[in-house]
Amino acid sequence: MSNRNNRSAVALCALVLAAAPLSARADMAKDVQIAGRALTFLENGPTGKIVLGVVFDPSKPASVAEKNAVVAAIGGGMSAGAVTLMARPVEASAVPGLSGVGALYVTTGVNVAAAAKAKKLITIGSDTACATSGACVMSVSSEPKVEIVVNRAAAAAVGAVFKAAFRMMIREV
Amino acid sequence: MKKTLFAAASVGACLFAAAPAANAQSVYYGALEQMFGEPVTTSATGSPQRSTEVPVNMDIISAADIKRSGATDLPTILSRVAGVDLLQAGAAGADVGIRGYNQGMSPRLLVLINGRQVYLDHYGYTAWATLPVQLEEIRQIEVVKGPNSALFGFNAVSGVVNIITYSPQYDDIKVATVRAGTGGHAEASLVDTFHLGNRFSGRFSAGAAQMDEWKNTAGVAAYSLQDPARVSANLDTVTQLNAKTELRVEGSWSNVLVSDLNSGNSYSPTKYVTSSIKAGVASDTRFGAAEVSAYQNKLSAKSRAGDQAIPYDNKITVVSARDLFKLGAKHTFRVGAEYRHNQSHTQPITGGTISYDVLAVSGMWNWAVTDQLTTTVAVRHDTLDLERKGTFPTQYVLTDNANWDRTIKETSYNLGVVYRPSNFDTLRLTAARGVQVPTLVDLGSTQLKVVTPSFTLGIVGNPFLKPAIVTNYELGYDRVLPSLNAKLGVAVFAQKTVDIKGQPTLRAPDYLPTATTIMLASFRNVGDSKMKGVELKASGQFAGGYHWSGDYTWTDVDDEPPAGVTLASLATRSAAFSKTTPAYRGNVAFGRENQKWSVDGFLHYVSDFDGYSSAGTFVPVKGYVTLAGRIARQFDKDFTVALSGQNLLKARQTQMVGLEAERRVYLTLSKSW
Repeated sequence: MSNRNNRSAVALCALVLAAAPLSARADMAKDVQIAGRALTFLENGPTGKIVLGVVFDPSKPASVAEKNAVVAAIGGGMSAGAVTLMARPVEASAVPGLSGVGALYVTTGVNVAAAAKAKKLITIGSDTACATSGACVMSVSSEPKVEIVVNRAAAAAVGAVFKAAFRMMIREV
Repeated sequence: MKKTLFAAASVGACLFAAAPAANAQSVYYGALEQMFGEPVTTSATGSPQRSTEVPVNMDIISAADIKRSGATDLPTILSRVAGVDLLQAGAAGADVGIRGYNQGMSPRLLVLINGRQVYLDHYGYTAWATLPVQLEEIRQIEVVKGPNSALFGFNAVSGVVNIITYSPQYDDIKVATVRAGTGGHAEASLVDTFHLGNRFSGRFSAGAAQMDEWKNTAGVAAYSLQDPARVSANLDTVTQLNAKTELRVEGSWSNVLVSDLNSGNSYSPTKYVTSSIKAGVASDTRFGAAEVSAYQNKLSAKSRAGDQAIPYDNKITVVSARDLFKLGAKHTFRVGAEYRHNQSHTQPITGGTISYDVLAVSGMWNWAVTDQLTTTVAVRHDTLDLERKGTFPTQYVLTDNANWDRTIKETSYNLGVVYRPSNFDTLRLTAARGVQVPTLVDLGSTQLKVVTPSFTLGIVGNPFLKPAIVTNYELGYDRVLPSLNAKLGVAVFAQKTVDIKGQPTLRAPDYLPTATTIMLASFRNVGDSKMKGVELKASGQFAGGYHWSGDYTWTDVDDEPPAGVTLASLATRSAAFSKTTPAYRGNVAFGRENQKWSVDGFLHYVSDFDGYSSAGTFVPVKGYVTLAGRIARQFDKDFTVALSGQNLLKARQTQMVGLEAERRVYLTLSKSW
């Protein structure tokens, strides 16, 4: 490989590395915003400010990183249709005693289904497997195409009922 | 202009960043569109669906597309959709067809505003200028290609145009527009949404326009033309009865003057007065999304045949109920029932009344077989009971009301399989059967005698006319190209129409004169017709605010008249569609938009075809290209100034048999608040 090609390859790698966190953050922001909008299709769903508990496991670096990304994406408040999301980091072990949150965003690899069920809190993840396995009520992802998956059993367990039009446009498991 | 995964979502997001909660039961297009990042529709199956997942060939024209089009009327906007044919007879008169078979007073297209039919039922055509909707209040126009009778009923045979307006409840639209242009064009409109308390919302719109008719360079009888003008108003209200139930009441009115091209290929100066009232209750119940609605459309029209004024009054009442529900995780169902009563007195020779009652039941089953594969089955069965009362003109035939004691039973279906092997590919296979039922005019509500020094001819209805049945098969493939921010689509289709309706003709009267009756002409089924074709389309965006789109559609129509009937004799009945359908039509659009400026250009191409003279002979029309464009500047405080034009390549251009299309240029000022 020529020096010129080497320099080009290095420059390209540098660009990719620099762009990747921005891109990931942009995707995360989209995911969270879709989650917020989806909440407005709950019967008796929230309006105005809603605190989203971002559940993470401090022993798992990936979970912590995702929590940080979500909190950064929401910042001081994220408008998502009828709601404005506010973020509050929550350690998984703290969920049973949690209060003052409207919904939980569950980072990948964390399962708080039992505690959320007891608190009647809807849980949202960005990993489809979270919903299909029943660990979350709903998963949302924006890339490459918006996909929303709702676990009917998990939704029923926390008393979450989505509006008919919404149910017909998403994937239920 | 065009379909708009991209633009619609972005404009919607800008307009409604602070959208209210989706707490009502009707489909909240804005919230769903923002969430899924693409337009949402119910026009394919009756169930809300993402535009990329519908089991029909559908294009959606967004509000942004409409704004950037620079067009002042709906037919011009629709003509830029792949496969759509336009016969623009004058400054305001136009007929729109999908994939051929277009003609004066085309009866093959179902046109609705928010699900209420706005085509004129007495003769099955759409007088576009009568539609009581301002362009600024339209959220999106959904164009379904191919039959969709299983959802919408009769007349949805070549396609459906469903115009969706902004919601009184959720959308906040306040815009005033004034427009002036060459050809004496003057126009003003107002759209205003408002709320009274927490439960009542409304959207009021009104508009008026007048213009000079295109110059009569075609030798059309001067009395057949008039300068178009229109005034219309609409009020749409939603009352939230409780958390799960809403009441929607709409009323509209329009008063229009237009030079129509009638189905006999002659111009007629027509005045239309339309009005409608509609009420519906929608509720999210434990049994699904249920809705009951009723509406009544009234028409009072006055046209002209030769030196005779032909008044026409028609009233149609429709009551429908439906329930949309999901069973399990993968099955969505819609069940519905509809009753309609359509009535008209005979005109201009009075004395009779023709009416029919239709009872219809319908159902739809959508099955998400896997995450990639979805099937849809929709079926509707209509039973039409026809009746005639009253007297008959002297010297007529069929002078027994018992001839009208007839029942028509027809079943429509739409079958679709959608396969998405990846997030970027969609394969769509569809089969459909649509029904074009005879209209009240076909069945005899127009009773007319033309007396000349050499002969007397009467027009008589045909109570035995069969419905035209359209079957359509289509295979479509859509591909999203994320790296290019573009998408491509290709579709191949084959269609057959059985028992095509032919018009009455002096040249081949259906009843020769006898000692007791005059010569009479009537409507008649004139055989079958086959059509096949290919549609290609692409659209996209690239950096710097540029957007582009292009489409090209080929159709090949082959008429199959009964034995002994020639193409020339089909022409006398305005039914030689193999000659009058252009083989090719296409569009290219390119534009750029930033915070302050918006520039768009539109090229439209139609290949050679034949039209009819008023004598029923073929007249060749050479293929043509048109250019339209718009340049707009957005100022502070939501004030916009736009300069737009249509038919810009030539001062006058032959686009059909009739008046030559004129270059027209408009200056538009609009203010939102």
